[in-house]
Amino acid sequence: MQQTIKDPNIEIDAPGEISGTMEEKQISHRAVPLEMPLDNVQDAMQTESFRVNNLFLYYGEKRALNGINMTIPEKQVTAFIGPSGCGKSTLLRCFNRLNELIGGVRTEGEITLKGENILAPSVNVANLRRRVGMVFQKPNPFPKSIYENVAYGLRIQGINNRRVLDRAVEQALRSAALWDEVKDRVQESATALSGGQQQRLVIARAIAIEPEVLLLDEPASALDPISTLKIEELVYELKQNYTIVIVTHNMQQAARVSDYTAFMYMGDLIEFGDTRSLFTTPRKKQTEDYITGRYG
Amino acid sequence: MTASLSSELARAEQRYRHFRTFKDKLFRFVMTAGGLTVIGALLTIFVFLVYVVLPLFQSAGMTQLGVIPLAGPAPVRLDLAEHGDTAFALGGDASYRFFEISTGKSLLEGRLTPPETILTALNDSTRSARTIAASFGHGKVLLASPQYRETFVGAQRTMTPALAYPLGPDPVQAVPKGKTIVAIAAEANDDGATIAALANDRMLYLTNYVKVASLLDGEQHVESTQVALKVMSDDVSFMTLNESQQALYVISKKGLVSFFDIHDKNLPRLTEVQVLAPDAQVTAVEFLSGGTSLLIGDSLGKITQWFPIRDQNNRHQLTQIRTFAISNQPVALIVPEFFRKGFAAIDSAGALGLFHTTAERTVYLQKGFLATAPSAAALSPRGDALILLNAHQTLARYDVQNRYPEVSWHSLWGRVWYEGRRAPEFIWQSSSSSNDFEPKFSLTPLAFGTLKATVYAMFFAIPVAVLGAIYTAYFMNAGLRRYVKPSIEIMAALPTVILGFLAGLWLAPLIELRLLGFLGATFLMPLAIFGVAWVWSRLPAWARQRLPQGTEVILLVPLVCGVLWVAMNVSQPLEQLWFGGNLPRWLGQTLGITFDQRNSLVVGIAMGFAVIPNIYSISEDAIFGVPHHLSVGSLALGATSWQTLTRVVLLTASPGIFSGIVIGLGRAVGETMIVLMATGNTPIMDLNIFQGFRALSANIAVEMPESALNSSHYRILFLAALVLFGVTFLFNTVAEIVRQRLRSRYGNL
Repeated sequence: MQQTIKDPNIEIDAPGEISGTMEEKQISHRAVPLEMPLDNVQDAMQTESFRVNNLFLYYGEKRALNGINMTIPEKQVTAFIGPSGCGKSTLLRCFNRLNELIGGVRTEGEITLKGENILAPSVNVANLRRRVGMVFQKPNPFPKSIYENVAYGLRIQGINNRRVLDRAVEQALRSAALWDEVKDRVQESATALSGGQQQRLVIARAIAIEPEVLLLDEPASALDPISTLKIEELVYELKQNYTIVIVTHNMQQAARVSDYTAFMYMGDLIEFGDTRSLFTTPRKKQTEDYITGRYG
Repeated sequence: MTASLSSELARAEQRYRHFRTFKDKLFRFVMTAGGLTVIGALLTIFVFLVYVVLPLFQSAGMTQLGVIPLAGPAPVRLDLAEHGDTAFALGGDASYRFFEISTGKSLLEGRLTPPETILTALNDSTRSARTIAASFGHGKVLLASPQYRETFVGAQRTMTPALAYPLGPDPVQAVPKGKTIVAIAAEANDDGATIAALANDRMLYLTNYVKVASLLDGEQHVESTQVALKVMSDDVSFMTLNESQQALYVISKKGLVSFFDIHDKNLPRLTEVQVLAPDAQVTAVEFLSGGTSLLIGDSLGKITQWFPIRDQNNRHQLTQIRTFAISNQPVALIVPEFFRKGFAAIDSAGALGLFHTTAERTVYLQKGFLATAPSAAALSPRGDALILLNAHQTLARYDVQNRYPEVSWHSLWGRVWYEGRRAPEFIWQSSSSSNDFEPKFSLTPLAFGTLKATVYAMFFAIPVAVLGAIYTAYFMNAGLRRYVKPSIEIMAALPTVILGFLAGLWLAPLIELRLLGFLGATFLMPLAIFGVAWVWSRLPAWARQRLPQGTEVILLVPLVCGVLWVAMNVSQPLEQLWFGGNLPRWLGQTLGITFDQRNSLVVGIAMGFAVIPNIYSISEDAIFGVPHHLSVGSLALGATSWQTLTRVVLLTASPGIFSGIVIGLGRAVGETMIVLMATGNTPIMDLNIFQGFRALSANIAVEMPESALNSSHYRILFLAALVLFGVTFLFNTVAEIVRQRLRSRYGNL
């Protein structure tokens, strides 16, 4: 994990104008533009993180996901957008099998992480979730100290060595750009932090166990604009080390932070492609209607 | 249209404004009044309890009511009637007089003997039995006893005093003719009398008189037996015989007490004890009420209490129990109370003190109360009037406000050495059939009983309630939870009198009958549950998925029943095999563990059952109320359910669980009907789970109806109530404070 340095010159305010240099750099990583259908490009992908094959999900009798097929590229930011109830959060929660906590949920299909089917009954869910971290809409620090919050993921893995923990906590807090703000009070209660700080703390907690993927479920929707900006900067920094999947209501945010965007509607994946082209030249009319604000 | 609506709205607002304001004000008033009423009611209860209890701890007071001059020869013995309005005075010339204390008006006058004989000796003590033994020349003794007969005509009380002669109006020959009596002790009752007379040649003649009814004509005559003993000390200054005529004390000036055990009048047994330091002298001797304890006043202003206790050889040894100090002047007079274990003492410099022995309490002490020591004094039987004979032949009369001398912090909570006991003990024994009985008010065994009940109930209730709450809130299927939670909560609505009834009349005999089964089930049950859980976790997934998640607990229902059935049915043959068919008896005979049918185990189960819903409900709410995003956040970090439970959910819910437990504790402490009905209510202090106890609350319920209004007993019961009130108040306050802190700490999660 490397320390991130914020670049004050990055201009991320205007949608669709994500700093040209970084966009080009990302695109240059990619051999083939990622578009639907994806099957034909997967072989060409240098690195894939998740691959979703024909995923159906049912809440009882109600179908919430309609045969989703997609590939999440590694160390890139993928955004899910769509109107409320379109299934984007549900899909996100399939990646760490958090949907299973709700009774009556049934999935069909397959999701692989590095080629391994994570939906298989034999998969150890706790291990999966260690590999796939998640940050929620509402900051959810535990009623413990800042230190213990960050160390939590390590402690449950049985790591109690003080020195190891100290180093990991500091590193995670630095990575989450929170270290400078809290380094003098890591033993104080985490619930005393501001909402934005809490959300970065929760990100630090998630990355302290060095997951492969970070799922962000509307991570900034409960925050003020300044905190939102900080989170977005952080997402940009973190993608150097992590695959990031972010669900957002905010299209500008998707445009600002993501490399790829998936537009979902009524449980269907309508369009999935690189962010710039999806926002500038959507191929589906539904996508265009949504991003231009005709519904949603 | 919009305009018309807005004008309509404006009109409506106009119309309702006053009504709304009125409604707001009304409800604010109603709510404030409701809240204040609750606080007021609580305060009233508290204030009332304190008001009833407070007199217990007030000091005594003395008020002089008047002084009357006494005509005739100086009295050597004074006595007061029940109400303290009529007095008896015996003069040194053997003349006596009953008179009204307020006016000095004579009611009855006379002489004990013909005018030519004079009093040569008078007995020292036995004020409560009021027997006066007067000896005259030629070794003759006359027993007399002042009697106060009260008759009522309407509300008018008339006092008719009389002098009674237990052995007849003629003196009896207590020592052989020709000898002179120098000291005398005597006691009489309906069956006869005992006279101990010391002659001038140091011979002590102990005469026992028994009234015998003739078989032929039923006429009574008196038979006497006499033994003579040699007394070694040459300075006998006091001789006293107790009321039951079984202990005779001969006390020398230097403090040598010769204690004659005269249970067998023909075979006195002597033990001698030196009761004083070498530089002190005995200046006053009295029996404490009941005639068991001896109060010895010395020249250093100390009064020591002594009573015989049985030693290992089953012999009575006079033992010093306590010491009271009045001043550093010689004790002049000791006046014991009639019914209480208290006494008044006056030293030679005129200091007056009121003391209570078992409470170890100096209730009143006034230096220089009198200018000089009085020559005679008497307390009324009720202990509320005192007369003192001053040097100038005047009789001063006092009103004594000393209603609760027997209560002190020490007598309520400490070990008290009661008469006849081998050592100080905690005893609650508020009443008995005997008049000589001293009520023993130690709250310690009762508080201990309450504590014992609470602890055993909590042993049972906390694990069941908290674990149940954890399972229901965190693991159980939501559909099942909808039925389980209200079912457990409805247990709280069960009247405790029914629980107590079931516990005392059904469970207690059942446990006695199947003790081994119950104990076995206690150990088997967790084992069986863990075993089944383990097997379940090993089952293949398809088998486990047959049951919806969170409903596995249903499997335990037949298991629990099965284990109970097995334990109950296997226990009997095993009990036959190992414990001779009766485990309770075996416990008693082999291990020395007493088994009562209504014991703490029964109470623990029944009261545990009563507090489980309280603890369960609050804990369950606390656990269920832990924000979902916290547990999901933990799970998303790769924690297992168990880790999430123990590290996040329970941590967050812990104040709620704690407050549930404390509220359960508060309920258990105050619980009455179960402890009343399911225990033997014996105030013993014993941790044995197979023994009963008496709890504070049950004690109040049992004894309040039989306590006399405003008596010490009555007020001590209120004190017990105050203690209970305080403890439950404390518990509930702690729970509430914790809950408030929880709210402020986790409110922003």
